[in-house]
Amino acid sequence: MFSLSIKEMTFFKLKYLLIGFILFFVAALVFIISGLANGLANDNASSMKELEVTNFYLAEDSENRLDRSQFTIEQAEKAKDASAFGVQMQTTEKGKDGKKIDSTFMTFENEKLLPTIIEGKMPQNANEVIVDKTMQEHGVKLGSVLYLPSVEKKVKVSAFTEHFTYSHTPVIVIQPALWEKVGFTYNALVSTSGTPAQSIDGDWSTKEDVVAQIPGYSAEQSSLNMMLSFLIIIAVFVLGAFFYIMTIQKVQQFGILKAIGAKSKSLIRATMLQVFILSITSITLAALFAYILPLFMPEGMPFVFEPTVILSYGAALFAVSLIGALISTISIVKADPIQAMGRVE
Amino acid sequence: MTLKLQHITQQFQDGDDTLTVVENLDFEVNKGELVAIIGPSGCGKSTVLSIAGALQTPTSGDVFINGKNISNYPKNKLADVRLKNIGYIFQASNLVPFLMVKDQLKVVADLNNTWDEKRADELLEAVGMSHRKKQHIQHLSGGEKQRVAIARAFMNDPELILADEPTASLDASRSEEIVALIAHEVHTRNKAAVIVTHDESVLPYCDIIYEMQQGKLVKQKETSQ
Ligand SMILES: Nc1ncnc2c1ncn2[C@@H]1O[C@H](COP(=O)(O)OP(=O)(O)OP(=O)(O)O)[C@@H](O)[C@H]1O
Ligand SMILES: [Mg+2]
Repeated sequence: MFSLSIKEMTFFKLKYLLIGFILFFVAALVFIISGLANGLANDNASSMKELEVTNFYLAEDSENRLDRSQFTIEQAEKAKDASAFGVQMQTTEKGKDGKKIDSTFMTFENEKLLPTIIEGKMPQNANEVIVDKTMQEHGVKLGSVLYLPSVEKKVKVSAFTEHFTYSHTPVIVIQPALWEKVGFTYNALVSTSGTPAQSIDGDWSTKEDVVAQIPGYSAEQSSLNMMLSFLIIIAVFVLGAFFYIMTIQKVQQFGILKAIGAKSKSLIRATMLQVFILSITSITLAALFAYILPLFMPEGMPFVFEPTVILSYGAALFAVSLIGALISTISIVKADPIQAMGRVE
Repeated sequence: MTLKLQHITQQFQDGDDTLTVVENLDFEVNKGELVAIIGPSGCGKSTVLSIAGALQTPTSGDVFINGKNISNYPKNKLADVRLKNIGYIFQASNLVPFLMVKDQLKVVADLNNTWDEKRADELLEAVGMSHRKKQHIQHLSGGEKQRVAIARAFMNDPELILADEPTASLDASRSEEIVALIAHEVHTRNKAAVIVTHDESVLPYCDIIYEMQQGKLVKQKETSQ
């Protein structure tokens, strides 16, 4: 039956190519959107994902939102097995020309949490900062002077880090000394493992819960996830319909094959084999396509090819097409050998 | 006895009425016999043949193929009977659309796990189609398709050959050629065969002729060889 399946596919090339293409495009679309969802998630909150922190201790009633949670310097000093962390979304101006850049200031009391430097040197004093390399798109270089208008303070860029953004803005890492001097408050106590009891009022939240409350994060992710789930549902119907039409068209042929002695079982196996070959090739090609796509995408397009995510969506699509095909095999079981006599149209 | 139909009745539900097409029919065919069934259109010839060919289960009565009663066989076992014991030649040749000539024979052999390429070549040679082995069937004429269908019917070496108006779509000289071919294959290979036909020119090739009358088969003529 294997050779029969292959011969049919090579004979009706166009028909099977068409179905393969549809499968390919649906799968490619699913992969691209999931890659975008991933990319946007990274782009939005890469700083939080990179951060080796498991839990955030936030002030009461802050509903996992960092901007609603505040701790004074005195409160932060009472932290037990946790360190103070501050985050402020503020505009920065570049040097004297005063070009405004949306950015986020962060500070870490625990130096181990500082991001990895890819260029430049560790800040030597409170007036030097580490910035995310996306700042380079605004012409910022090592040694550039940034002006923080909200606190009327100038700082010098001493190092670049990467993948360190917050709500799609580059992060500027400031030392706690400057943070306290300009009068910012801390927003959370962070723990690198577990939820040690604290004496000040507040509650522990997980990193996931805090990330979900970063401005724009949930809205982006939920709309992309909705698109993905709709795509999968559409795939169920499109593929189901295609396989249904494909088998319906062949009822006469199934009748002939049964009349000359083929059993339903072997016809179903032959059909499933075709669907198997079609799905595996199309989905694999779509995954390859999604893999090489970033090479052709404009710089800065947030797209991340995450093999495990692609694999799971690929498996879901594969299951969807097999199930669709399996449902349409009912028409194979129903095909009557008497059809070969040409009485039934 | 290769084929035996015993007390066969076939009814069809037609609205509120029941249409009795075959009524208490008895029929036998032996090895080496080529039997013709004639009768007016709609009298039930194809119905009888499809019952004999395990394509359809009668309303009542028993069908014996090679002495085995297949009346209560499940679908799978009937498929096996069709595969191994019966070669059916349909009115429209009913070849598999996407296969080339030789693969038409290979399909039935593969289903039976007995692919014998030499046998296929011999059969195609016998029906005069060996020069078109590699051709796809959409390029063949009606008569050529019918010849391939005949070769296919003999491929698994079945004991019983059934042909339902195998010459209906052919001109007189072609149809004689086809029946002569079936007759030749049946006699040289010592098969039992039934041909349903409208075509008078076919009859001289047949050993026994039955006519379908009021749901029964009545013997008309027996030519002894
Ligand atoms: N599945 C069915 N449902 C209802 N009626 C049927 C069915 N199959 C056959 N019949 C009826 O049974 C009768 C006999 O049909 P059959 O095809 O056996 O005739 P036939 O002798 O082969 O005719 P022809 O020479 O035209 O091929 C016809 O009246 C036909 O309408
Ligand atoms: Mg008929």
